[in-house]
Amino acid sequence: MTERNSFFTTLENEALICGRCGCCRSSCPVYKIIGWESAAPRGKISLAKEAFAKGDKSALSDEFVKRVAQCTLCGACASECATCIDTRSLWLELRKRIAGLGKQPAAYDAIRETLLANKNISNFENDERLEWAEDLDEPEVVEPRAGAEVGYFVGCVSSFFPQAAQIPLDMVEILTEAEVDFTTMGADEWCCGFPLISTGFQAEADQFIKHNVEKIKEMDIHTLITGCASCYHVWKHDYQEELGDYQLEILHNTEYLARLVKEGRLELNELEEVVAYHDPCDLGRNSGIYEAPREIIAAIPGVKMVELYHNRADSLCCGGGGNLQSVDAELAEQIAQLRVEEVNASGATILVSACQQCEQMLSTAVRKAELPVRVMDISQLVLEAL
Amino acid sequence: MRTEILEKIKEKYGSRATDSSFECGLYSRDLGPVPGLLVNPLFNTTPDLVVRPSHAEEVAEILRTAYGSGIPVTPRAGASTVYFDSVPIKGGIVMDVNLLRGIVELDEEGMTVKVRSATTWSELEGYLNRKGLACKSYPSSAPAATVGGWLCMMGYGLGSLKYGSMLSQIKSIEVVLPAGEIRTLTSETEPSLDWFAGSEGTLGVVTEVEIEVRRLTAMEHFMLLLADESELLNVMQAFMNASVTPYNLHFADQHCLRAMDKLGFGLEGVDSGCTLGIDYEGTKEELEQARKTVEAITSENEKVTRLEDEVAELEWDGRFKALKLKRGGPGVLGAEVWLPVKELAGYLAEVQTMGPKYHVDLFSYGHVVTPEYITVMTTFYADETRTIPYIINLSLVKKIQDVGYRHGGCPYGVGLWNTPYLNRIYESARLAELRKRKQQLDPKGLMNPGKVYRPPFLMQPLTYGLGMDVMAGVQKLVGRGGSR
Repeated sequence: MTERNSFFTTLENEALICGRCGCCRSSCPVYKIIGWESAAPRGKISLAKEAFAKGDKSALSDEFVKRVAQCTLCGACASECATCIDTRSLWLELRKRIAGLGKQPAAYDAIRETLLANKNISNFENDERLEWAEDLDEPEVVEPRAGAEVGYFVGCVSSFFPQAAQIPLDMVEILTEAEVDFTTMGADEWCCGFPLISTGFQAEADQFIKHNVEKIKEMDIHTLITGCASCYHVWKHDYQEELGDYQLEILHNTEYLARLVKEGRLELNELEEVVAYHDPCDLGRNSGIYEAPREIIAAIPGVKMVELYHNRADSLCCGGGGNLQSVDAELAEQIAQLRVEEVNASGATILVSACQQCEQMLSTAVRKAELPVRVMDISQLVLEAL
Repeated sequence: MRTEILEKIKEKYGSRATDSSFECGLYSRDLGPVPGLLVNPLFNTTPDLVVRPSHAEEVAEILRTAYGSGIPVTPRAGASTVYFDSVPIKGGIVMDVNLLRGIVELDEEGMTVKVRSATTWSELEGYLNRKGLACKSYPSSAPAATVGGWLCMMGYGLGSLKYGSMLSQIKSIEVVLPAGEIRTLTSETEPSLDWFAGSEGTLGVVTEVEIEVRRLTAMEHFMLLLADESELLNVMQAFMNASVTPYNLHFADQHCLRAMDKLGFGLEGVDSGCTLGIDYEGTKEELEQARKTVEAITSENEKVTRLEDEVAELEWDGRFKALKLKRGGPGVLGAEVWLPVKELAGYLAEVQTMGPKYHVDLFSYGHVVTPEYITVMTTFYADETRTIPYIINLSLVKKIQDVGYRHGGCPYGVGLWNTPYLNRIYESARLAELRKRKQQLDPKGLMNPGKVYRPPFLMQPLTYGLGMDVMAGVQKLVGRGGSR
């Protein structure tokens, strides 16, 4: 696993460091669609420099705030940056500053209010976190209990959105098949905090982080798995301070499933399919996990694996990151369409991802493009092969 | 009249045209970190309109309209130069050509590819590599620089030492001339395509380029450590004279290495000296010969140490990131000098004595781009948040160019900011020829005006030189450059 080093210092300093070379431009999915200089990372940083490093508050216009929100936080610009600016951290800091000045988009306020009220990103109460498990033969297997070998952090999307509910159902079946001693946090699982971090409300996110860590400690969980790429990234990076010395192995579902396959705890049967894997930004480029999902796919006999044109660190975003949908759903869809063009060119019959947001975005885009391609989470592919 | 015409273009191009001050302001800059205090009183760098055509016919239509109405047009693609090549200085229209991207046609038999002009070099290389092919050469700013943009600059970079200039690889170009005529040009046409190499967007808008490609071959990377710059030239020339020509030959001086090290980008096992990187590509036999060449040159010379292959590979992987040096500033100023290779040692020695005189650390690195010439970038830290000291620091750019000139060098590229050095860059007959071409294709002087051919009034060599020398004198006496 390789992960980019972060040299991030302060917003002001990084904005001054930017050389405006434009290496970030071509890789930015938002710039690819919008096409204006203000949508390119270098354009936004240029304005951030005026507003924050040079103190020109007039640069902090509504148009600028809109452009800052039009970003999926995919991190492609950070990979390309010739001055090694950790632009993902820069965008987060920028959103935090904007929220601090009360200039954030109205949609961000709605996200914040929902989260503070429900502890999750849906309109459902958090007590209903395990609603999805009603479709299991034995729903009680997911009831929270202390001391389990593995804690499954389901994530808000999989817990509350019917489109993604298949993921935890499949995971439970797989874990059961592999005889894993697992549990969930039930209603004690709060949102990981990413939607708050990414909208600039770090202080509020800290409450969520504190709560989740407390509960994990209470439950004496020492291995945590999650199928959400963003939850994973946040747990790996933003939870570390709160976790302190507490020993917690944090794994994405793909890492854990790859381990189960390697240990021979899952026997995979033949599938005659052409499978392409879409690297979720928060799992691949931003966390450095590229091989685990590929190892799982390669372990399925009969599967022909094809790579999308942009893959691994060069992967294109699905459009669903960074809360973009909440401020510009059309832009998010257009970005997904770019990715689907690559799926079409790949000849894949199945497109696999490892993030429920990616799956949702790409499913919709594939449907819209009327492609004969099934989009699924890696857990579903594994289950089909069991 | 002008306003009405601009309004008409805006209406016609809808969401692909804008006159909003928010957007236009961002088109008034490139990489050149020149303070507004200097620029704004002299030039109108904010376009009245930015328009994004998507094909040559639209480019032609906009140029025809603008030409007929006397409106200046500044083409802009990657905007990855520092000379204001793609920044207007008389307002008017900025034509953002970035929608002209993508592959038109690959001819694997003829080993050429036809590509739309705003495709970046990284995009083209990525496309070709998947087909088992590769670009013969590309700029060190490949992720940002476009195919058409590099042609309009000088077109020397990585791979040029082995495969020649970009111009030498081009079969044809499609270009829209200033009055809106679409032409396909070759070396046989009138005008010839070579008029556009180094024209910096002043003769028209290049919309397509047909260029030679090569087979994608394996590469080998080597990195040598030399005690100091005195031996650099000898070793460099030994590689250039060897039977296998390097794909890329590049150096970094000891000051550059030290600065990188301080920033956490140092090379494993290197705490002093300068480096020479040698990259080869070719057949198995060629690479075998290359390895033998490296072994022979290093074994003969005890002042040379060969670094681990891994170090050389990492250096190659980071070939587009020389700008990371800027993290130590955060501002950086500098000059890129087109220098005879044989003068490198003398140039570096003089640059290194110049730094302390002006209270700055000067870092140099560069690429050998022809058997005779090397492009050398010499930079220093400057703090752009302190406007007056920063402006005074700018005078050192001229001092670096003066060192280059004393060693037979000149600025690499002209744009606006290097127009005071025109007489250093071109011999008078060549400059007269270039002006004649400009007059022939753009008699109204509307295509990217103010660039390349003549310095603006306040930048005449005498006054500009005097002004810069006075400021450099101030810097020498009381100035302090460097990072914050």
